[in-house]
Amino acid sequence: MEILEENHGGINIFKLNGRLDSNTSQGFEKKIFQAIDDGSKNMIIDFKDLDYISSAGLRVILKATKALKREEGKMLLCDMQDYVKEVFEIAGFDSFLPIVGTMDDALQGF
Amino acid sequence: MAKNKITFKLKNKLSELDTLCQNLERFGESIGLSPKFIFETNLALDELFTNIISYGYSDKKVHIITVEISLQNNELLFSIEDDGLPFNPTEVEEPDLGCSIEECKIGGLGIHLAKNLMDEVCYQRCKEKNILTLKKKIQESQPAKKRMKG
Repeated sequence: MEILEENHGGINIFKLNGRLDSNTSQGFEKKIFQAIDDGSKNMIIDFKDLDYISSAGLRVILKATKALKREEGKMLLCDMQDYVKEVFEIAGFDSFLPIVGTMDDALQGF
Repeated sequence: MAKNKITFKLKNKLSELDTLCQNLERFGESIGLSPKFIFETNLALDELFTNIISYGYSDKKVHIITVEISLQNNELLFSIEDDGLPFNPTEVEEPDLGCSIEECKIGGLGIHLAKNLMDEVCYQRCKEKNILTLKKKIQESQPAKKRMKG
């Protein structure tokens, strides 16, 4: 899996490409928590090029969302493929995670 | 003509998830399964496999997990066999999905996903092995059998 990091006016954007499973989730966890340690409070995760997610990926998203909430920051998730979104729905995560349509929607959410 | 059954062996390491995915994709495409069906099947098998290798072994040795997938009538049947500690995922408590973010726990979620994405998940302990058998119906809009004949 590839993770591209960008900064857009103080918002950290992580663009995920490939498969987020128990084999790749550790790398993602490391990157996202490095950003939180460095003081980042506002994040967008771009799911456009993510083909696959398992519960290991959901775990990282949940953990990071909780950590950001404690810092009074927030994380938005955008541009999910239907299959990926279905995983969030079956897990019940769509009820408390902000999932928006496009990157523009996400940027406007801050 | 496409074969209607494959068997493959995986070692107990997370990097084998890629092998699982490749085998499943190749087989699924050969019998004409939709990408959505392959995705859902991949996720269910991933969760059960990840669970086995994360909690199934108390030693550091290499173990083999055998996966068999077959097409029968309009159903895909799976079996996953491992020589790990006895563990019945069908008895794992369902996670509380209506909880708030603060209360939300991740335990049991993988198995919850697997159960939801399959039509049937059964467990047997037999000759020191855990045997999971799963079933998933192929929807009528997915012409798996037709393509096989072509």
